[in-house]
Amino acid sequence: MKRICSLMLAFCLLIPTGAFAADLFIAQAANFTPVMKEIIPAFEKATGLKAQATYASTGKLYGQIINDAPFDILMAADERRPNKLFADGLAEKPFVYAKGQVVLWSNDKNFCGDDWKATVVNDAVKRVSVANTETAPYGTSSMKAMQAAGLWDKVQPKLVYGQSISQAFQFASTGSADVGFCAYSSVFTEVGKKGCFTVVDEAPPVIQAACVLKSAPHADAAAKFVKFLSSPEVQAMKLKYGYK
Amino acid sequence: MLDVKMTKRLKHFDLDIAFNCAPGELTAVIGPSGAGKTTLVRLLAGLERPDGGGITFGNTVWADVEKRVFLPARKRDLGLVFQDYTLFPHLTIRKNVAFAASNEDRVDELMTMFGIRHLESSRPSDISGGERQRAAFCQALARDPVLLLLDEPFSALDVANRRNLRSCLKELKNELHIPILHVTHDLDEALFLGDTILAVESGRIAPNWLKEQQAIQRRLAVSGLAREEGAAVSRAEEPRPVERALLGCG
Amino acid sequence: MDWTPLILSAKLAIWTMLLIPILASPMASLLAFGRFKGKSLLDAVVTLPMVMPPTVLGFALLVVMGPRGYLGGLWEDVTGDRLVFSFTGILLASLIFNLPFAVQPLRASLEKLDPRLLESAAVLGLSPLSTFFRIVLPNCLGGLAAASILVFAHSLGEFGVILMVGGSIPGQTQVASVAIFEAVEALRFDDAFRMSAALIPVCFAVLLIINKINARRA
Repeated sequence: MKRICSLMLAFCLLIPTGAFAADLFIAQAANFTPVMKEIIPAFEKATGLKAQATYASTGKLYGQIINDAPFDILMAADERRPNKLFADGLAEKPFVYAKGQVVLWSNDKNFCGDDWKATVVNDAVKRVSVANTETAPYGTSSMKAMQAAGLWDKVQPKLVYGQSISQAFQFASTGSADVGFCAYSSVFTEVGKKGCFTVVDEAPPVIQAACVLKSAPHADAAAKFVKFLSSPEVQAMKLKYGYK
Repeated sequence: MLDVKMTKRLKHFDLDIAFNCAPGELTAVIGPSGAGKTTLVRLLAGLERPDGGGITFGNTVWADVEKRVFLPARKRDLGLVFQDYTLFPHLTIRKNVAFAASNEDRVDELMTMFGIRHLESSRPSDISGGERQRAAFCQALARDPVLLLLDEPFSALDVANRRNLRSCLKELKNELHIPILHVTHDLDEALFLGDTILAVESGRIAPNWLKEQQAIQRRLAVSGLAREEGAAVSRAEEPRPVERALLGCG
Repeated sequence: MDWTPLILSAKLAIWTMLLIPILASPMASLLAFGRFKGKSLLDAVVTLPMVMPPTVLGFALLVVMGPRGYLGGLWEDVTGDRLVFSFTGILLASLIFNLPFAVQPLRASLEKLDPRLLESAAVLGLSPLSTFFRIVLPNCLGGLAAASILVFAHSLGEFGVILMVGGSIPGQTQVASVAIFEAVEALRFDDAFRMSAALIPVCFAVLLIINKINARRA
């Protein structure tokens, strides 16, 4: 029994946890995950530095940061949170790193006409998924689109709310929701390719901003990363996944 | 008429018994512990199935292994009293007795006869062991069973209760006029109650066992070692009139 | 403060508590008294929701209860409504999720029953079904009560599964646990605090009741 315990203890202490070994810690909004997964290896190759990203909803990451989580840079899904950090003196000036677009996505080919407005009010569409309109930028943008089109009251009874844009997409991709207001980038995923989409023009582009935290433990590495983000290599990756 | 001829494979030996019991007859089954007596009762009750042979009661076949007939316990219309009371703990004494009763009058009659009428509204956990066994008897008899099976019904009782209920049973036997099977490990009880004595040893009827036991008893009595015991035995045959009135059965 | 999520949580917990004995009793009886092939398999299936991560269970239910799933499709054919994202849907999820928490204590209670009571009932002429309702159930009321109250408390706190199949619709599937989570996400800490403060005394009271019942049975 004693031997097993000491073996387990040794295992826990000696196996490197990786997190402690990185040179840069990034808080990344979940919707940008596929792009970031390509950016990081490219960055590591170019600079020789190791980067580690945590993928979660912007709200959650913001909450962790204001409670002293040891991140170096926040890559949000909106401008609001980076701006707030800047106003509160917790971060450097924010900069825009990507522009996302809301689309109406569905598994069912019948629901992908040219006019998303007609689709959502169609009686055959019983459930429409959307990201939390309060905390998820894509949700807020979707809500604005429906309000602008004067459809909000009509569509609201049909809405189901995902905690994040990923969950909104999950509801739509499993068919539980007939259509979903999703991020354009989800169209490029394997699951996304199996469905179809319509661009929601009335939805304001989701401007995704980032900021380096004032308390960043690895400020130099952060600066190098910010520079790398504006490289043509990264531009190409963004376009590949539908970001501008 | 109860007709039994059956076998059952048990852990250490095979049970192989054949006997019959007529209405109004009490067959006492006696033998050492582990002889298979309780299994015999369970087989007759329909709680277990025989491996060979069968049981018939009058014109009804209760079990027949060859013909694949088996009447479950609930269809056999019998009364069963275990060594430890098995009254339902969540019901009052009256509700317990009346559980399968044929009519309310019979319930009153039996409870009065066994002297537990005053315990009607009590719960099994509130009354004494002797009182519980009386209630168990009433419960078994209330449905006017066609056969009464008793598995060491008095073993857990004190001497006074045991003596009293024994006499009760002897009188009841004549009144009920049904076959009664009474399992006991007490030789004196068997001799007192039984019209027939069935000695069972290692699953089989052992006619010599009885004679051996009686010989041993006589030797002990003669040698004076069991003088007290012997006196107690003869006294056990008839309870004193005073006691009888107090415990109320008769 | 918006009381709707709290009322919804209470509604879900009460319905689960009332319906769970109907599901749990046959399962517990089969496991306690039954002797059949595949009994250990049934045991494992019933216990599964207890050991699965809630989000995994939630996702599995989402697929099964969705319009293309076996249950969801059947439901839509019969009622015309969607099962997922409805109160009925989260109630069903709650029942499945809570089943092992009710079956285990009930089974333990049944196994403690003296088998001679059941034999006595049989000899006295009772059918197995009557025996169950007239003898078994009244003697396990303590176990049944403990199981029900435990399930009530557990349902109040349910989060992962309901999040996956509920769709967080205010007034229909946005239960207190989800509303509190969303309030924290939206940095509405006051709202989160108020709702939590309302839930805690309820949980505490429930635990006191459980302890009292268990003490009485001992």
